Amino acid sequence: MDTLLEPFRYGFMVDAMIVGSMVGLVCAVLSCYLVLKGWSLMGDAISHAVLPGIVIAYAIGLPIAVGAFLSGLLCAVGTGYIKANSRVKEDTAMGVVFTGLFAFGLVLFTKVKSDLHLDHILFGNILGLETGDLRNTLIVGVIVLVTVLVLRRDLLLFCFDPSQARAIGLRTGLLYYLLLSMLAMTIVVSLKAVGIILVIAMLITPGCIAYLLTDRFGKMLWIASGSAVFSSLAGVYVSFFLNASTGACIVLMQALLFVITLFLAPKHGLLFTNRNVKETSDSVGGSI
Amino acid sequence: MIETLVSPLQYDYMLKAILVSGLIGGVCAFLSCFITLKGWSLMGDALAHSVVPGVAIAYALGLPFAVGAFGTGLLAAVGMAFVKVKTRLREDAVIGIVFTAFFAFGLFLISLNPSSVNLRTIVFGNILGISDPDVWQMIIISGLTLAVLAIKWRDLLLFCFDTNQARAMGLNVTALHYTLLTLLSATAVAALQTVGACLVVAMLVTPGATAYLLTDRFGRMIGIASSMGVATSLVGAYASYFFDGSTGGCIVTLQTLVFLAVFVFAPKHGVLAARSKRRLAAEGAS
Repeated sequence: MDTLLEPFRYGFMVDAMIVGSMVGLVCAVLSCYLVLKGWSLMGDAISHAVLPGIVIAYAIGLPIAVGAFLSGLLCAVGTGYIKANSRVKEDTAMGVVFTGLFAFGLVLFTKVKSDLHLDHILFGNILGLETGDLRNTLIVGVIVLVTVLVLRRDLLLFCFDPSQARAIGLRTGLLYYLLLSMLAMTIVVSLKAVGIILVIAMLITPGCIAYLLTDRFGKMLWIASGSAVFSSLAGVYVSFFLNASTGACIVLMQALLFVITLFLAPKHGLLFTNRNVKETSDSVGGSI
Repeated sequence: MIETLVSPLQYDYMLKAILVSGLIGGVCAFLSCFITLKGWSLMGDALAHSVVPGVAIAYALGLPFAVGAFGTGLLAAVGMAFVKVKTRLREDAVIGIVFTAFFAFGLFLISLNPSSVNLRTIVFGNILGISDPDVWQMIIISGLTLAVLAIKWRDLLLFCFDTNQARAMGLNVTALHYTLLTLLSATAVAALQTVGACLVVAMLVTPGATAYLLTDRFGRMIGIASSMGVATSLVGAYASYFFDGSTGGCIVTLQTLVFLAVFVFAPKHGVLAARSKRRLAAEGAS
């Protein structure tokens, strides 16, 4: 029993659990919209593209979050510009732009002498949070959550059917940039916790888990948030005993939940769909 | 002046790095023509990340790293196909879930056993410290990939351009699908050593996209993309000596700059050309 409670005795473990849950929660709420909108790749691209912004901001003394946010947006806008002005497909344009920015970030990183740890940017450093980090994560997390909750219906319609949203008079251009900005902001606060590579998972997996479990969007938000918070808590907790990378443990926990859902979901799960198909065909056969 | 410029070439490791980068850049660029046509950029990125656990396992067991990497790359591809067929999730979400899970698993394995393999080597590549057996693995992979592409390129082209048409003509579309996936995994493994997992996708997309803006004929597109891939890799690896920086970063930055230049100045499909065409049309109309 004592061993099981041991992680809670360390302040850094408790901090890690709080920050992990908050980041998981915000990412999960956004992931529901991204999954509906088909923007999974956008999360991937923006999260890689923040690297040069971080290095430049550090070099000229700006807050890192500002630089990261701007270069994330630059990636999204650049992709849109290239797609609109050439015959290159969107996924290709995105691939070119985000790798270009990431590579440029790497070259800059080697040129700018800094205290930044590349490993921490890439994979997070949730066990080594600094004093301000907890507060910053909570503030940005709350801002994103409140924005999403206030504009819940508009964003949903925008993701589901942009032309319908435009037809009923919503400003889709504004919503587009709003969603992009929130995505970029979320990625920036997740940096500390899981790093820019694993945040992609946190922005996709919870939404997918929830999508397999329910057909109603309200419920989807709850399920996604619940699964993400649970994964963060469990992931941080498990990593203490395994002495393994915390970010990786959180993501693996989410992946595990996804696999369980994939097989056991009551309506869309594999075990049950197979049986339903059989029952349906049996009953059809019987009625004839 | 000249002495400074030649100085990188005096080191064996630099020479080896430059030549291997050129070879891999060429092979990736060749394949990138098919990938950009097919719209598989995300797949390239996903496979490049999915090979990480394979590398970790292979190093821990003392196997050639290409074998492990190739194994988990294919496993990820099969996993994606399985989840996509069995659920109502969109393809991009499925790819995202599977590759991040694989990558996290790789990270997990490495963090449990940090001594066996250096994480940075995988994520950023380590072409300057490449060992001779690894060079041979690269050469074999590149040779096989080029051979398959040379034999099958017409079928693959039709498959990428118009899958239905390919099926209608009696080609085995499933076999072609898996051939292309296998080639993609193989080149991702090869490029891993040069530019690292995060930047592999650039080598597999940017040259093809650049060439696509310059020509309308596929044969020429392959020629342009391959020469660009070889040239940027050679120059990038060479320049990294002076920048004292990441070789992969230099190669990919260079490729992106070339793409941007072509995007603006390309004779037919560039931004400037489109603008002057529009102006001419407007003048003609008035």
